[in-house]
Formats: sequence, structure tokens, C-alpha cells
Amino acid sequence: MISVEGLRIEYGRGRRRTLAVERVDFQVADGEFVALIGPSGCGKTSILLAIEGIIKPTAGRILIQGEGVRGVRRDVAFITQDAGLLPWKTVRQNAELALRLQHRPREGVQEILKTLGLGGFENRYPAELSEGMRRRVGIARALALRPEVFLMDEPMANLDTLTRERIQEIILRLWHMYRFAGVLVTHDIEEAAFLGQRIIILSPRPARVVEVIENPEMGEAEYRRSPMFYRIVARAREILKSQEGR
Amino acid sequence: MRQSFHYLAAAFAIFLFWTLMSFALELSRGWPLIPYPWNVAAAGVQYWNQWIAAFASSARRFFISLILSFATGLPLGLLVGASERLHRWFSPLIYLLYPIPPIALLFFLYMAFGVGEMVKVITVSLTLFFQVLVAAHGAAKNISPSYILAVKAAGANSLQLHRHVIFPAVLPEVFTAARVSVGLGITMLYIAETKLGILGGPGAGLGGFIETYAMRTDLSLAGVVGLAFLGLAFYVLLELLERWLCRWKYAGKG
Repeated sequence: MISVEGLRIEYGRGRRRTLAVERVDFQVADGEFVALIGPSGCGKTSILLAIEGIIKPTAGRILIQGEGVRGVRRDVAFITQDAGLLPWKTVRQNAELALRLQHRPREGVQEILKTLGLGGFENRYPAELSEGMRRRVGIARALALRPEVFLMDEPMANLDTLTRERIQEIILRLWHMYRFAGVLVTHDIEEAAFLGQRIIILSPRPARVVEVIENPEMGEAEYRRSPMFYRIVARAREILKSQEGR
Repeated sequence: MRQSFHYLAAAFAIFLFWTLMSFALELSRGWPLIPYPWNVAAAGVQYWNQWIAAFASSARRFFISLILSFATGLPLGLLVGASERLHRWFSPLIYLLYPIPPIALLFFLYMAFGVGEMVKVITVSLTLFFQVLVAAHGAAKNISPSYILAVKAAGANSLQLHRHVIFPAVLPEVFTAARVSVGLGITMLYIAETKLGILGGPGAGLGGFIETYAMRTDLSLAGVVGLAFLGLAFYVLLELLERWLCRWKYAGKG
């Protein structure tokens, strides 16, 4: 379980001090998928980086399985906005990278690559892949860690609609397979409604939790076409619009 | 194959231009001010032993200097470029020293290291060192934050970050800088070999060869051709090394 309590994040000092996140509280249960949504630049990524242990909160605390976060954990995987693939490493080397850095056996990577439709591309470099394939390699790298917690920072950003929906469905399928606790940061309302069991809506910077929408019917690819999906999207849009100009 | 054809075409173009220049000057001045290419080739063949000894000496010096500059400039550039604190402290020093041509200090270098082999290698090494250092420093500062974040999030320590991200990321720019600096390095080598370096005689480097035979224009030009070959050889060597070490750069480009 992830527990974020009274999280406050500030950047800079003196006149350059910027308050990115203020008093954010939420929990993510084991195996639960939560979407964090808010306007661009509101501090969503900062929250994710703090959970990952890359940045230190100014105040508050973050617990994963009851332990305070003090740096990067082996059971937490993180996907950046553009997958962060290293252009000088092949698909296989990129997918194995996290395991290699953590001196863990590299077994199972081939299977994950196949599951993600990357079989046969193991020896290609990222420049030889489509954008959608690159994002899948980023997912494979994170998944290779067999994480308990999966943190995703807009992993479908800047993709065309069909590719984005395909990757959303892949993430959903992987969540059913591995049952990790997922935290997805996005500014796409439909994406949040498709993947989030709970949608946590954040205010413009500094980020605060404005509202939490329960979305218990998500979980199937067809959910995208259901009336409930549209109701959730409409509700989230309404709340986000009400925050504009505040 | 296509590349070799381009080099041959360039050599032919130079040969043609050179012949035309020699012919034009002969017509206007009444005597061949610039010897024809075939005369230069004949002189080179006649003094082949000296020419090849001079070429080998210069090539050896340049090669050692290249290795020394990479071995020192690359890690230092990475270190200073990748650390904000080191960058603040050392960048002003680097950019203060970088514009000083080592040749301006040649007199002091002669005093410190004598007129032998060492001073020539040090002059060229200093020239190439700053080119490699500045390129590595600049490239390390401009690495995409997304690579660093992705690798840090995967649990990399500082050493792993350098090994998997910073070092491979800067290599292409360092190779480009090194290739561009080949010409400058050879100029410095020539000067170091022609000043007091000429004491070594015509076989002790192409600079010495050119200066020794300054009055034999055909032989002197054979030395100049040697410098051109030397530059080309190191340019090609660096390009091949880059194509091997940075093969990802050429992936998908046929």
C-alpha cells in the first residue's frame, strides 16, 4: 500500500521558491489503480517523483508497505513521459537495464517483450522503432522488475489516438496479469477514466486534492464505450473546468 | 565503397586544380613556381626512405597525442559537465585556458621539456585535450534529462549513470570535435616540428622534412602532401572508430 500524507513539495530558495504541491493526502491499496489528473504544470509529476524517491518532500511523508521512502526501491517501477529509452542500447538492453542496474537476473525479459508485441525486435535500436513501440519498450523495462508498485508519468503523452488507446489497453491487460498497484499521472481525462479505479483530481499549482471520483466499473477494453465511462469523463471535466482561473 | 569513391573523386579534383595552377603560374611567370604533381610524386619516390620516416614520426606523435588527449580530456569533461558544483568551479578555468594556443607557449615548453620528442607530443596533446575536454563538457551538460531520470528511477548509482548514460551520450560529440581538431592538431605538430624541432633532421617528422627541403619545392611539396595524408588518415580512423562505438547513431539509416 502507498500512503501519501500531508505531502508538500517546494523548489528553489528565497525569491525563486516555488510551491509545487501543498498538503496532498491519498492512499493506493495493493493492486489498486489510481489516476492523478490535473492541469499541465500543476505538480502531478512532482508527486510521482516523490513516491519514486527521486525528490525529497519538503514536508509530509510517503510510506510504501509501511516503510518511509528513502530513495529508489527495488519493488517500484517508473515510466517517464517519453519512455526514456537510451538510444545507444538495443530493445533488449533497454528492457534489461533496470535489472542489470540492480544486479538482478535478467530472466523473463524475452517473455515480456513477446507479450508486448516486441518479439523479433530485440536487437533493434530505439531509432528503428515507431513511437508506440518505444513506449512499449519503456513499459517492458519497468515490468521486468516485477514491481509491486507501477508509477507512470504520462506514458501515452504525444501519441496519436489509436496508438494511445492500444497502449492503454496493454497497460490494463498487464494490470490484470500482474496486479500491481498503479499510479498514473495524466492530463487526459478519458485516459484517467479508462484506467483509474479512482480518479484523484488536483488543483492548478500548487497541487491539492480537489476531489476523488470512484470509478469501480473500469477494467475492460469495452468500458470506453459505456455510458458510465462518459458520465465519469463528464464529471471529471466539470470539476477541472471549475478549477480554471482559480 | 561509396565513401572511397568520394575520396578518390576529391583526390582527382585536387590533382586537376593543382595541375591547372602549376600550368597557369608557369605561363604567367615563365617557370614552374609550383611543381607539377607528377614531379612532386617523383621527388617523393626518390627520397622515399626519408619521406616515410618523416611520415611515421609525425603519425606516431599524433597518435600518442590523440590517445593522451582522449584519456585525460574525456573523463575530465564528463566529470565537470555532469556535476553542477564542479561545473561552477572549473568551467571558468577551462574557458580561460581553452583559447590559448599551446604554440604561444612553445618557448616555455621547449625550456621545460627540451627540443626532443616530448615537447612535440605535449604541444599537440594540449591542443587536442582542450577540444575533447570542451566537447565532452558541453555534451555532458546537455544530456536529455529524460535519460538521466529513467536510469536514476531504475536504481542507477553515480558510476552506473556515467557508464550507461553520460559516457555513451557524449561520445558522438567528442568524436566530431576530435575529427574537426585533426587539422588544428596537425598545424600545431607542423609548427612544433619546424621550430627547434628541425634539429632532428628531415626524417624526424614532416615539419622537419618540409623545412629541410624548403629550397627544393618538389620535395617540400611532397612533405605537404604527407601532411594531407596524415590528416586524412586520422580523420578516417576517427570516423571508423565512431561508426563502431556509436553504431546506434547510424541505425535505420541504411
